[in-house]
Amino acid sequence: MPQPPTHSSSLDMAQPEPIDLSSGKYVKLWQGPQHPGITGNMSLELTLCGDEIVECKTHVGYLHRGFEKFMERRTYIQNFTVVCRIAVPEPTFNEYLYSAAIEELAGIEVPERANWLRALNLEMMRLASFLMWTGGMSGAFGLYTVPNWTLTYRDYILDLFEELTGARIYHMYIVPGGVRNVLPDGWKARALEILKGTEKMMREVDRVMMNNAVFKARSKGLGLIPPDMVDPYGIVGPNARAAGFKRDLRKDEPYLVYDQLDFEVVTATASDAYERAWVRQQEIFQCINLIRQMLERMPDSGPFQAQMPNVLHWKIPPGETYLKAECTRGEYGYYVVTDGSEYVRRVHVRGPSYTHAIAVMERLAVGTNIADIAGLMVSLHTYPPEIER
Amino acid sequence: MSLKDLISPFFVWQRAFEKPYTVGLKPIVERPGAPAYRGFHINMSDDCVGCGSCFTICQNHAIDMVKVDGLEAHGGDSGLRPRFDYGRCCWCGLCVDICTAGSLRMTNEYAWFTTNPDDFRFVAGMENKSWDGRTGGYHRHPDYHLFPPKRIEMEMLAPEESVASFTEVAKGYTEEQAKLEADRCVECGICVATCPAHMDVPDYIHSIRDGDYEKGLQLMYRTNPFPATCGRICTRRCESVCPVGIQGEPVAIRWLKRFIVDQVAEADYARILPNVEADTGKRIAIVGAGPGGLSAAYYLRLKGHAVEVFESQAQAGGMLRYGVPSYRLPDPALDKDIEHIRSLGVEIHFNHSIGRDTAFSDLLDNYDAVFVSTGLNVPSQMRIQGEDHPRVMDGLKLLDDVANGKDPQIGTSVAVIGGGNVAMDAARVSRRLGAEVTVLYRRRIEDMPADTEEIHEAQAEGCIFVTQAIPVEALNAAQSDQVTLKWGEAEMLQDPKGGRPRPVLQEERMHLDTFDTVVSAIGQGSNLDYIPTEISDQLQIKWGKFIPGDYQQMVLNKLFVGGDVANATADAISAIEDGHHAARGIHRFLDTGQRG
Amino acid sequence: MNSMLERLSKEFRVTDITERHPGLTTLTADKDVAETLLRELRDREGYTHLNFMTAIDYIERGVFTLVYMLHNYATKSTLSVHVNIDRVNAEMTSIHTLWAQAWTYQRELRELWGINFPGSPRVEEDFCLEGWEEIPPMRREFDTVEYCERTFTSREGRGTVNPREHMAEIIFPNRGGDK
Repeated sequence: MPQPPTHSSSLDMAQPEPIDLSSGKYVKLWQGPQHPGITGNMSLELTLCGDEIVECKTHVGYLHRGFEKFMERRTYIQNFTVVCRIAVPEPTFNEYLYSAAIEELAGIEVPERANWLRALNLEMMRLASFLMWTGGMSGAFGLYTVPNWTLTYRDYILDLFEELTGARIYHMYIVPGGVRNVLPDGWKARALEILKGTEKMMREVDRVMMNNAVFKARSKGLGLIPPDMVDPYGIVGPNARAAGFKRDLRKDEPYLVYDQLDFEVVTATASDAYERAWVRQQEIFQCINLIRQMLERMPDSGPFQAQMPNVLHWKIPPGETYLKAECTRGEYGYYVVTDGSEYVRRVHVRGPSYTHAIAVMERLAVGTNIADIAGLMVSLHTYPPEIER
Repeated sequence: MSLKDLISPFFVWQRAFEKPYTVGLKPIVERPGAPAYRGFHINMSDDCVGCGSCFTICQNHAIDMVKVDGLEAHGGDSGLRPRFDYGRCCWCGLCVDICTAGSLRMTNEYAWFTTNPDDFRFVAGMENKSWDGRTGGYHRHPDYHLFPPKRIEMEMLAPEESVASFTEVAKGYTEEQAKLEADRCVECGICVATCPAHMDVPDYIHSIRDGDYEKGLQLMYRTNPFPATCGRICTRRCESVCPVGIQGEPVAIRWLKRFIVDQVAEADYARILPNVEADTGKRIAIVGAGPGGLSAAYYLRLKGHAVEVFESQAQAGGMLRYGVPSYRLPDPALDKDIEHIRSLGVEIHFNHSIGRDTAFSDLLDNYDAVFVSTGLNVPSQMRIQGEDHPRVMDGLKLLDDVANGKDPQIGTSVAVIGGGNVAMDAARVSRRLGAEVTVLYRRRIEDMPADTEEIHEAQAEGCIFVTQAIPVEALNAAQSDQVTLKWGEAEMLQDPKGGRPRPVLQEERMHLDTFDTVVSAIGQGSNLDYIPTEISDQLQIKWGKFIPGDYQQMVLNKLFVGGDVANATADAISAIEDGHHAARGIHRFLDTGQRG
Repeated sequence: MNSMLERLSKEFRVTDITERHPGLTTLTADKDVAETLLRELRDREGYTHLNFMTAIDYIERGVFTLVYMLHNYATKSTLSVHVNIDRVNAEMTSIHTLWAQAWTYQRELRELWGINFPGSPRVEEDFCLEGWEEIPPMRREFDTVEYCERTFTSREGRGTVNPREHMAEIIFPNRGGDK
């Protein structure tokens, strides 16, 4: 693992030459806000010289729904239906972190079985999210077959979610106090079957995408994150692991049942678009492995919800906490402050995209070819809704 | 760039001839939602009680509680039903999770086409929908709760301990227990309609959660000047309709009421509770210092009227004092309620019997209004031979003696005839006096009119229950201080019209058992002899009970009645409401001259 | 950890040191030393990672509490540094020279809370609200319901009945407690 760099070297904000648009030398181009290369809606204001980007400004707000504000106006139980909408492709991390933060502040101990079910949900979510990302990544580089494969398997996983939680996207399954349901009959067997298919499909993806001359040529060296940029920019997750940082919250600060599972943190050596993709591919296999371990070890009986107070007038004593979990993109966190009333005083949602899609993106884009900008964006794996909450 | 990297992408061709994942275009096969899918709502309207918890929990304001044709508010049902606005619903299913009645669930139907946007606003379960009758869909898992389904147990004296003395059996909630129990209330307010006095139950329970017991006391006195009493012995109809009890145990409303009173010292009452308004110069006579009479006295006095109460006994409280044993209602609790009423300037003439010491007609002549609440104090007859046997005693007398500190001399083996609260009281009092007790009842345990809790406690204290047993005759026993009871077994005969089953004596299965005392407790009637016939002839009286008009007023404008002698329910809380309502009627009558 | 906290309370007069759960400690620092403290934590104590920064509106106390969440990867400990600033003319030293993503947070805080960070790059630009003319919406006094009612129209035909009041009206119109 590289030594933590000194910050000063990486903090030079991109300060391009003053750009005179009337000189005829530059073109201003908007990418987005509706661009499939970006999961969600945000836009990039690009200034081009030829086909090279000389300046990139990000614009967000297209998905701003003011979640943090209106959570202050809803009761603790009501908020649980709101939080999942903060990261559309990965609602489960919001559900888990919100619930866990509330439980910590309210002093509620969640039963063991609920912890296993929660971790199972989180890993399935990770798998589904990575599959969608793989499709997006290959699509951004012109490989349109892979998205068809991966999204098919993502849908199979959503089928499993539907069966277990009653919904495909906004599961609202992890609830303060535990979970809402237990595994239906025969669910484990169906899950194992789908995992088997996913694993086989991912080997094929490995062949046609990771070992593809075009993909390699375009993604290698694209958007390289030097190690000394990682901490100053707050880069986390696979983006940091690809740069050699062996950091994974599931290992470093285990939550739920991760301390009982066997896995190794995946790292690479140079965080360019290709290696970031490679790390994610490995984590997909790791994820399948973790789900299998959990299905084998999780208890099949016992309570799955703590004794709850009446949620209709649930007051939580004053306090604050910050809880985090490793989502597909790295550290996802909930900062929750309570003041003793029936309403939360403040919730701040920390999503990795906040820095990946803005500060990091604006810096990495400079010097990139316009054709690769979508690929670069996807390779950072960003979800704009978690930026503007 | 290696050759492998150039070739391997062509691997995609291997899947070219595979069967596609997606379904064919035609015919389109509709894919059903998963068995637990959160689709469109369905509400079993017959089970729904319209408590509105779904409305309360909905974070999107997607639910309205609306009136529905053909459904009226009654008993434990508000008659309202949830109407969903699918323009706002987010299908979280919290409404299903919180549904107290368990009537609301979601089906696994998820496709609905209509050209009229207003169609998406509908009363689930009351309008025909294509998903009616679907069995699949989301419902609450039985082990998953959004409010605690079980009540906080009230700590009781152990039976072996309780049977040894007249100490109060229920120990009362601690503050922590009361707050936990108060937390279970969903604040729907369904109970308010069923409570005879229409107490502000959700509000005073709320005050417990806030720890503001003085406010709780104020709220209770709005409708009931006997909270310490009712907090112990109320028949608590409210709990029988509490929606929390449908899938769990009802909120312990009675114990919570008691808890509030126990938190406030009597010395603080004057500061906390409303004071008497300016003197009106009107005088009101009240006959009987039971809960009905004193409730009327309290509310009339608050309005500034001069109130005089005539009580034939030496102490106030009526049946509460002489009919309810002190292990259920200790004297200090009853005194706390009564003392506050007296402290407002209500005058009580003790040992003063209307008809004997003062003529009833004098009351009508000398006062601006008269409220009569003389209760039921004449035991009903068993109508069997030998009923006048010296070892046959009526239950009220037994309780009365004990309340007055007299030894009723019941011996060591007692049979109690009856299944009401008086029978249970008589049985448990006899146990405390050291007797072996057998309770004989003509129907089954589940038919007993007594409070279930009372029955259980009597059983726990060692009373033996013999059901479907009809007394036939009281005979002289071998010993002169005993009595032999002849009783027969009964079979329950179903009523072809669907009424409650009727016990039929089986002549061939007779028993003879000898007891020191047989206590008869099969009901009470009234004694209205104090009313001269020329007055009573003008009044509507049926089976010894007054039939009052609105505001408890009789045809004689000045005369208002209430309590057991004027209602069918014959319990303390109804008497209190009668008194309160009559007070309102009297005040209105004196103020405006209007009849009810 | 403890020796560090001791030193901080001595040198930087930090107060309210509270352990929230193992690995998370909150403390409060004065506005004028905050930037130096953060730099010190980053460079000398290994708190190299800025998890996030945000604000809490304590309108009842007339302050915004700025929260800087710092993490030390080596010791796996997180520090939540609170800085109270005046709600009127709210302003704070920019830390964009300490962390590269800080300017984005500061832009957000400027837009949604109305807290200014002089010198922070592009701090005046819109963040996620374009053309917003109301008071900064994350301030407690901004009433979302009132804003919605003023700005949008509701669909006709909605309306709810309170079960308790409905039952009172139907079942016991003249009874119960005096209104």
